[in-house]
Amino acid sequence: MNKYNPPRMNPSSLRSRFATRFLRSLSKINAKKPTASSSSPTEIFRRYRRIKVAADKSMAYSVRSRRTWSRAMLWKLRTRPCCRRSVKTSTIVRKTRHEKQNKNTTTTTGEDGVVFGVEADELRELVPGGEAMDLYNLLDETAHYIKCLTTQVQVMKKIADFYSP
Amino acid sequence: MNRALPEMLPCSDMTVLQRQRARLKWQAEQFQQQSYFCELSGVFTSQNVHVQGFQQGGLVSGCGGGDSVLSNMEMTRQLKPDPGLEAAWPELGKVDMGFGSCGYGNGPSFDMNHAISRTSSCPPAVAAAAVEVKGNAEKMGSAVGRESFKKRKVEKLQNSKVVAEDESKRIKASEEEEEESKITGPNTNKITNHKKENSGDTSKDNSKVSEVQKPDYIHVRARRGQATDSHSLAERVRREKISERMKYLQDLVPGCNKITGKAGMLDEIINYVQSLQRQVEFLSMKLATVNPRLDFNIDNLYAKEEFPSCTTNFPTVGMAPEMANHSPYLQFNPIQQVVSGCGVEMGMGMGMNSSDMALRRTISAPVSIPDASFLNTTCFTGPQQQIQPSAPWEVELQNLYNVAFTDTIEESDLKMEM
Repeated sequence: MNKYNPPRMNPSSLRSRFATRFLRSLSKINAKKPTASSSSPTEIFRRYRRIKVAADKSMAYSVRSRRTWSRAMLWKLRTRPCCRRSVKTSTIVRKTRHEKQNKNTTTTTGEDGVVFGVEADELRELVPGGEAMDLYNLLDETAHYIKCLTTQVQVMKKIADFYSP
Repeated sequence: MNRALPEMLPCSDMTVLQRQRARLKWQAEQFQQQSYFCELSGVFTSQNVHVQGFQQGGLVSGCGGGDSVLSNMEMTRQLKPDPGLEAAWPELGKVDMGFGSCGYGNGPSFDMNHAISRTSSCPPAVAAAAVEVKGNAEKMGSAVGRESFKKRKVEKLQNSKVVAEDESKRIKASEEEEEESKITGPNTNKITNHKKENSGDTSKDNSKVSEVQKPDYIHVRARRGQATDSHSLAERVRREKISERMKYLQDLVPGCNKITGKAGMLDEIINYVQSLQRQVEFLSMKLATVNPRLDFNIDNLYAKEEFPSCTTNFPTVGMAPEMANHSPYLQFNPIQQVVSGCGVEMGMGMGMNSSDMALRRTISAPVSIPDASFLNTTCFTGPQQQIQPSAPWEVELQNLYNVAFTDTIEESDLKMEM
């Protein structure tokens, strides 16, 4: 019952790509932190934010631009307010307006749009870049997003387990 | 004599005969599904005499060595009917099979029968005569066959829908299986049912099923009794695509097998995505608190390779081996044993077991409580069973609660309670 065969990792799989990137960014983050203030809650909170961003970024980069959600996520990460890129603020405004228009049109087309109205909106909020998609593509993106999220959780869990005392 | 024929013919014709036999077999299946062959039998018996007379006359007039040819003809007739056919057509004799193949819209096959049997076994001198006979045969065949062909065609059209429905149901079933396997592929062609077709087209349709992607446009045919509007057709295609996606998502999200209905499924999916996102947040929090004793480098990958993935085993029965798997690399407190027990009973997937065990060692433990309660409400078969184990958890978790994380955790609590 305890016997299990360790699977050989495919070097180009999503999991290994994400793992390498995430570990790299983690080591960068940990290299930055001064040991003195590591235990203060604010410092830890800051690190937590940075690590979360690093995790999302690594995930999005592992998927490249193949998926709408990864593109949207990368875009979102690049234009975070702390990045101080004021040039992009105008594009942000335009995009959200455009997305809202699309959203109105997509929820009203077809009988399925009416059935899925409320839940589809929730799903759109959850999945990055889901605002401007019709239901079929939204489901498609959700499936891939779930797959990537599970990979992310697995890898992070293993890292955390490995390093916890 | 029956058995002598195959050896008499050269090899190339044997294959043709086999083909014909195969075709007749297939036609026989068609026959068996339909009821109208009884009517046909009536048609045949009336024309049986004509056919026989025609064939014999044709043969006699044509060939000097008519004996061998005639025997060939009869042999071909006798070889062709398959057991299925024979069962259905006991009294009509073998001659009718050739006629049937002719009358069933495969006129050329009738000629082919003659031509093949003639060219195969007749010497060239006879072949010339055979061509003559063939010409007569065509005329006769067309004259004789046309009437019955018309009758049969009418009946066929009436019954083709039945046949086509059966067939296309089979096709559709296999199609759905195919499509379910081609999950991430782009748009697939939808060939639903066929309004009217000749028997020859069904083989083409069978090949259409295996046809996969046509990015330009989608072939859809209206089902019997459904609107043939372009709008409704497009709607149907869209709906089918969406239901296919939903099925795939159902496989991806654990615990969704019992839920039928799109709305419930969507809710489930939303909950799952939310829980995964929360887990990522929690794990990044955990990593923020961990002091790295070792370098974060590729060595970890090797180490990780040895640890099986914990989150993909979702069935309740599978929980027990998971507990055992966790033991090697997790340091157990007695508290964790309680968690393991709870995990087995709850049968929660989503990797909550290992993460809950990890909680024992970290500060941000309370984050898991709302997760557990959420999972309590959504994924279960026996709610009473699962609610009980959560109580000892919460007692343990509160022991590990750290004031430092109150803010963030309460924030996430609020989110979950919504």
